[in-house]
Amino acid sequence: MKRRRRDAVLALVMLGPSAVILVAFVLYPLARAVWLGRQRCDARAQNCRTNGFRQYVDVVQSREFQHSLWVTVKFALLTVPVGVALGLGLAVLADRHLRGVGFFRTVFSSTVATSVAVASLMWLFLLQPSRGVLANIGWLNQLAPVIKRPGLLNDAGTALSGVALSSVWANLGFTFIVVTAGLQSIPRELHESAYVDGAGPWRRFTNVTVPMLSPTLVFVGVVLTSRAFQAYGEIDLLTKGGPVPQDSTSTLTYLIYGSTSIARSDAGLQSTVAVLLFVVLLVLSVVQLRGLERRVHYGN
Amino acid sequence: MATSTARRTSRAHTSIGIDHVPRGWRMVGRYVVLGVVAFLVLFPVYTTVIAALKPGSKVLDHPLLPGSFTLQVFRDAWTEGRLGRYLWNSTVVAVVVTTCQLVTSLISAYAFAFLRFPLKTFFFGLFLATLLVPIETTLVINRRTVDSLGWLNSYQGLAVPFLATAFGTFLMRQVFLQIPKELREAGQMDGLGHWGFLTEVAIPLVRPTLGALALFSFLSSWNQYLWPNLITTEENMNTVQTGLRLLNASVPDIERFNVPIAGTVIAALPIAIVLMVFQRQLVRGLTAGAVKG
Amino acid sequence: MWRSRLLPVLVVGSFLVVACSGGGDSIQNAGNTTVAPASKPTTATTAGVGDTDTDTAHADTLAPGETLAPGETLAPGETSAPAATDAPTTTVAPSTTVATPLDELPKCPTDALASASGTVDITFWHGMTADLEKQLQALTDEYNASQTKVHVTLQNQGGYEQVIDKYLQSGQDSRPDLAQAPEYAVQEFRDTNSFVPVAACVKADNYDTSPILPAAVNAYSSGGVQWSMPWNVSNPVLYYNKKIFAQAGLDPEKPPRTLEELQADSEQIVSSGAAKYGLVVDTDFDSGGGWYIEQWFAKAEEFIADNDNGRSAPATHMLFAGQTGVDLYTYLQNLVASGAGYNVGANASGQDAFLKLADVSEPGAMTIGTSAALGTVLAAIKGGIAPKIAVEDLGVGPMPGPNGSATVLVGGASLWIVADKGDEKTAAAWDYVKFLSNAQSQSTWAAATGYVPIRSDALSTEPLASKYASDSRYQVAYDSLFQTPDELTAIGALLGPQREIRVLTARALATVFGGGDVATALQEAATQADALLADYAARHGG
Repeated sequence: MKRRRRDAVLALVMLGPSAVILVAFVLYPLARAVWLGRQRCDARAQNCRTNGFRQYVDVVQSREFQHSLWVTVKFALLTVPVGVALGLGLAVLADRHLRGVGFFRTVFSSTVATSVAVASLMWLFLLQPSRGVLANIGWLNQLAPVIKRPGLLNDAGTALSGVALSSVWANLGFTFIVVTAGLQSIPRELHESAYVDGAGPWRRFTNVTVPMLSPTLVFVGVVLTSRAFQAYGEIDLLTKGGPVPQDSTSTLTYLIYGSTSIARSDAGLQSTVAVLLFVVLLVLSVVQLRGLERRVHYGN
Repeated sequence: MATSTARRTSRAHTSIGIDHVPRGWRMVGRYVVLGVVAFLVLFPVYTTVIAALKPGSKVLDHPLLPGSFTLQVFRDAWTEGRLGRYLWNSTVVAVVVTTCQLVTSLISAYAFAFLRFPLKTFFFGLFLATLLVPIETTLVINRRTVDSLGWLNSYQGLAVPFLATAFGTFLMRQVFLQIPKELREAGQMDGLGHWGFLTEVAIPLVRPTLGALALFSFLSSWNQYLWPNLITTEENMNTVQTGLRLLNASVPDIERFNVPIAGTVIAALPIAIVLMVFQRQLVRGLTAGAVKG
Repeated sequence: MWRSRLLPVLVVGSFLVVACSGGGDSIQNAGNTTVAPASKPTTATTAGVGDTDTDTAHADTLAPGETLAPGETLAPGETSAPAATDAPTTTVAPSTTVATPLDELPKCPTDALASASGTVDITFWHGMTADLEKQLQALTDEYNASQTKVHVTLQNQGGYEQVIDKYLQSGQDSRPDLAQAPEYAVQEFRDTNSFVPVAACVKADNYDTSPILPAAVNAYSSGGVQWSMPWNVSNPVLYYNKKIFAQAGLDPEKPPRTLEELQADSEQIVSSGAAKYGLVVDTDFDSGGGWYIEQWFAKAEEFIADNDNGRSAPATHMLFAGQTGVDLYTYLQNLVASGAGYNVGANASGQDAFLKLADVSEPGAMTIGTSAALGTVLAAIKGGIAPKIAVEDLGVGPMPGPNGSATVLVGGASLWIVADKGDEKTAAAWDYVKFLSNAQSQSTWAAATGYVPIRSDALSTEPLASKYASDSRYQVAYDSLFQTPDELTAIGALLGPQREIRVLTARALATVFGGGDVATALQEAATQADALLADYAARHGG
C-alpha cells in the first residue's frame, strides 16, 4: 500500500516533465485550435467574429480546401510509390557482391544529409527557367521544352511533379538505408532454398525478397506518406503554392502557413484548416494501421 | 548491429553459387548501371558544387563543367549568410532538444514500464494520442504561446515545445518491457532503488536504442523548417534552415545568384559529417520510427 | 477490431457528404452567415485603356505637363531648381475626409531623447535585401557613429511581406520600435492601433515637411493624418534594351509612352527578328498583377475603388472590373497571346522579368520594373550576367500607360514608429527617421539604388546631383513623380485588405494570360475583393 503510493508519487515526478510539455504544446494548442477554428480573426487571433462549428463545414466545402486536399493527395501519389520503388531498386542494385559497392552505398545514402531547405534550393537552382542549369543544357530543352518555357516549376501542369522530384530525391537516402537494412536481415537460407529449387533472380526477387521486405516497404511507405501530407518547406521554397491561378502546388500545410495563402492572415481560418489536417492525418493513420495488420508478411 | 550480422552470414555463404561474383561483361554491365545511377543521384550535388566554385557570371557558360575556380562565393555565403552563427544556433537547439528528449523519454518510459500507479493505461493512451497530432496543427497556437512568454527569437522558443516526445517515451518503454523481470528483482535484492536500477541496469541495456533515438531526435530538430520560420524575427536567431531561406530571399545581387547555392553546401556538410560518424546509429535511428504509425 | 475499421469509413464518409453537399464557394466566405455583397455593376467611364486616340503618332504623344523625354533630361541644376521653389504645395487630401484629431492618437514626445540617460537602443524591421540592405546598413552605421544617444539595430525580415506578416502576428512586446512597410499596408497597419503617427512627431518637433513631395506624404496618410514617413519611394519605369531597339529600326532614345506604342514597338521588335519578345510582363501581386494595375488606373485617371479610392471613406466596392480594367486586361492578354509579349509568371525571385532581358537564347527587349532595381540591374550587367548587354545599352523610360500620362503612384515603403515602447524609444526612432529622410541620406540612398528621393532638396545635394547629371536614367522615376498632377486618382488606393486584393487582381491577370475570359475573371475577382472589404469592415467596427 505504502509502496504503491510511493510509486504513484514517483510516477508523477517522472511523467511530469513530459506531461507539462505535451499538454502545453500539443494538447492545449489542439483544443485551442479546435475552438479558434470556429472564428474568423486577424493574424493575432484578435478582432474575432464567431461563426460556430458551421465554419468547419464551410471550409470543408470551400473550393480552396478541397483543392488543397486534392493537391496533397496527388503529391503523396507522386512521391510515395516512386520513392519506395526507387529505394527498393537502388537497394537491390547495391546489394551485390562487387568490389567497391560500399562506395555506391555511400552515394545512394548521401541525400539523407540534406534537409528540406538544402534539397529544395539545389533543385531550384537546377529548375529555374532563365538561369537554372537544366534550362541551359541545349539538348535537354529540345527534349522537354517545358524546362525552358515556362519552366518546370512555372507550368501549372508540371509544377507539382517538379516539387515531387526534389522531394523524392531528398528522401532517397532515407529509403535506401532503410530498405538496405531490411534486405540484409532477410535470412540467406530463404534465398538459398529458392535457388536450389531452381528459381531465377527475378523469381527470387518477387517470391522471396519482396514478401520478406514487405514490413520494411510498408514502413517506408507510411513515413513517406506522412512526409508528403506535411510537406511545406519544398513548396515554400520552390513554388510558393503556385503557379497561379491554378495553385497547382498549394498543399494543405501550405494553405495554412504559406506566404501567399489566402488563410495566413486569419488565425481563425488557419486553425480551421489545421484541425482539418489533423482529421485527415488521423484517418490516414487508422487506414495505414489497418493495412499494416492485414497486408504485411512478418518475417520470423 | 543487425546489418553487420547479416553481412557476416552472407560472407560465410559466398561459396554457394547464389552469390557468385559476376564476371566479364556482366560485371562491367553492373558497374555501368551502378555508375549511371550514382551519377544521377549525385547530379544535383555535382552541379551545385561546380556552380558554387565559379564566379556567378560564369556559372551558365558551361553549367556542367568546372572552370574559373574561385572560393569567393563560399566566402560570401559564409559571411553574408551568417552561416557560422546559424550552424551554431541549429547545433545548440538540436543538442538541447536531443538531450532533453532522451531524459524525458527515459524517465517517463520508465514510469510506464516499471511503476504502478492509478490510471496508467489512460495516461499512456493520452501520451500515444499526442503522436497523432501533426505539428502543423499546433503551431498556430504555439506561436502565440511562445510570443506571450516573450520567447520569440530565443533558444527557449526554438527548443522548449520539443523537449518531450511521446514517440521517445513509447520507444523506450518497448525496450524497457523487454528487460527480464528477474533483473529488476535481482536489483531490488541488491537494494537498488528505482533510480539506481534506471541508471545502472536499464540504461546500459537499452543503449543502442537510446543512440538511435538520439540520432532521430537530432535530425528531426536540425531539419525543422516551419517552426523556426514562424518565431524568428531577429536575424541572429535563425537556424540553418531559415537562414538558407533568408539567404535565398535576399539573393545577393543578380550576378552572384550562386551564393545561396554555396550556402546549401556549407549547410549540408556538418550534418553529413555527423552522419558519417554515427553511421551505425543511423540505420537504427531511421528504422526506429517503425513504431511511429 | 471492428471499431478501427468503422472509424475511417465513418469519418471519410461524413467528410465526403459534407464536401459534396454544397460549396464550391471560396474559403474566404467560410462562416459568413450573410452572403457576401455582390459586386455592383461598376460605373466606370469609357475613358479606358483601349480608347486612347489610337492614331496618335509615336513622337507627338505628350501627356499634359510633360515636356521631357527620358534620356533628354536636363541637368539636375536645371530640373531640380523648380522642385525646391515651386514644388506643389497643395496637398490634395480628399475634401470629405474626416480628420482624426491628433490628440486622440499616441503621442510623440520628441524631447524625451534629450533627457534619456545613456544610449537608447532601437530595433528596426526592414525588408531590404541584397544591395539595398548593404546601402541601408551603411546609412545606419553612419547614423550610429554620428551620435551616442541612439543605437539602431537592423533586422532584415527578408521582404515586405515578412515584415507585415510578422508584425501582424506578434504581440506588442515582440514588435520592433520601427518598421518599414510598403504603401499597400497603410490601412492595415493603421488599423492595428499600434503606431505613433508621424504627424504627431512632425508637430511636436516643429519639423519642416515643406521640401517633402506632397504625393509621398499623401500616400502615407489616412484619415487626414500622416501615419508614416515616406522613405524609400519608387515607381515603375520601363527598362529596355537600346541595342535591340536600334536593330529593330526603332529610335533607342524614344521608348514607348502609350500602350499603343508599346504594342507597336513590341511587334516591330519581334517581326524584325531583333529579339524573341518585346515586352516582358509578370503576374506578381507586387508588380505586374497588382501594383502596375493600380498604376495604370491612375494613369487613366480612374479610381480603382469607390469612395475616392477608399480615401474619403472606407471602400466598399472595387472598380477594376469596369471598362478600364477590361480594356487593360484585354490589352495585356492580346500582347502576350500575339507573341509580342512574354509572361514570366509570378516572378517569384523578383528578378525573373529582368533575367528574361538577359536571356541568351530567347530574350525580351523591354520590361516594366521598379525604379528601385536600377542600381542592382546596372551592377549585375557590369558583373557580366548578360553577355549581350552593355551597361550603356540599358535604357530607362517612364512607365507606358493609357494617354501616355506621366502619372505615377508612390510606391516603395515608409517608416512606421511603433507605439507603447516608452517615450525614449519613440523619440529615438523619430530621430533616426529624421536622419534617414534628411536631404543628405536621401541623396546618398537614391544615388546608390534608383529610389526616388522623397524631397526636392536632395536633388541639389551630392552625390545625387552628379548622379542625375551623369546618368539620366536615375532621374526618370523622379521626373514621373514630380510631373504627377494633383488629382484624387493620382494618390492611390487605401484599402484594408489591399495586399489580398492585389493578389486577386494578380490571379485574374494570370487567368487571363492562361486564356481565360477577361470580363469573367475580373468580375470574379471583384466579387471576392468586395467580400474581403466587407469582412474587413465588419471586423474593424466599420
